[in-house]
Amino acid sequence: MRSYRIGGLRVAVTGRRLGQALDRMPGMTPFVNTRLSRFDMWINEQENPEVPEAHEIYRFQLAEERGTCTMLADKDGNLAYRFDSGSVLLHDRFRAGDVFLDWHGDLDELRYMLWLAYAHEALAYGAVPVHASAVVWQERAVLCLGESGTGKSTHTRLWVENIKNAFLLNDDSPIVRVEHDGVWAYGSPWSGKTPCFRKERYPVAAFLRLRQAPDNSIERVPTVQAFVALQPSCPPTLAHDEQCMDGMVDFIGGVIGQVPVFLLDCRPDIEAAQLSFKTIFPF
Amino acid sequence: MKIDSGKKVRTVSGENIVIMQAAGMADMTQVVALNASAMELYNALKEREFTDEDVVQTLLDIYDVDEPTARRDAAEWVGQMRKEGLIVA
Repeated sequence: MRSYRIGGLRVAVTGRRLGQALDRMPGMTPFVNTRLSRFDMWINEQENPEVPEAHEIYRFQLAEERGTCTMLADKDGNLAYRFDSGSVLLHDRFRAGDVFLDWHGDLDELRYMLWLAYAHEALAYGAVPVHASAVVWQERAVLCLGESGTGKSTHTRLWVENIKNAFLLNDDSPIVRVEHDGVWAYGSPWSGKTPCFRKERYPVAAFLRLRQAPDNSIERVPTVQAFVALQPSCPPTLAHDEQCMDGMVDFIGGVIGQVPVFLLDCRPDIEAAQLSFKTIFPF
Repeated sequence: MKIDSGKKVRTVSGENIVIMQAAGMADMTQVVALNASAMELYNALKEREFTDEDVVQTLLDIYDVDEPTARRDAAEWVGQMRKEGLIVA
């Protein structure tokens, strides 16, 4: 068994083959939990986990020509994901905290399956892996959101290069968690192409939704637009299940009730970074 | 006509919204926001068949408005709800 602490949650992964694969996976080591403890979620290796009488609810293309993934649900609300490689991930509604995983693809597919498994189980704890590039300044995190190719990583890099003491927390999928004492961003083992795996957390100062534009401008958006800004950056498959959607709406409501959301029209230049920085930290 | 029960109204930080699932659009969310009076009508008329006249009557019952105003507001609400796909048939 392997034991990790991700987004403050204690994650157990069982199975010899999964364990060996995880030991080879870059990014996992910083999150190893050496303390013996109870667990918040179990990711269990299991051959042919059963998906009885499930019907397709969503199908999508996997990154880097890894084929398609089909999301299935049965009438009781159990969810499963079937990959072209033969991999299956089963999220059992009646065994909260348990995910069953049968892995036949490559290491990147396993990394993605873990991310999916985590996303489903973490929702109950008010935690969501958010597609974002996260930067920290003076113990506070700023998360840049936007479609792939919008320039999230470029914008956080401009912060790191031009704002004293700013550093990158995660470049692809930090965990955002609504807790009793505020909204926190955690580093995670999922950081896209940038190896930035920090086991740290910081209170979130702001979200920036980026849009490419010929001129730099920024505005804070009210509730409904803030929801629209955040929702597409949450794991897309969650939106295809009613119960997950409820959890996600609660999560986003908790976030935008406490943290400002800005729309940033920007060029990939220093001025854009200075504008967002001075707007979020105006002193 | 009838309110589409498949589209759920959710409350986010005090705002009533319906999230529209945009098919195939990976990174786009469409949301319809209902203001207080639109929500009142929604609650009063959900889970049953109703006519244009029912909408007018509901407005007259809830609000202190004259009939022409109620007719105009009712038509506008029905039009908007249809446009957003929240009313079926």
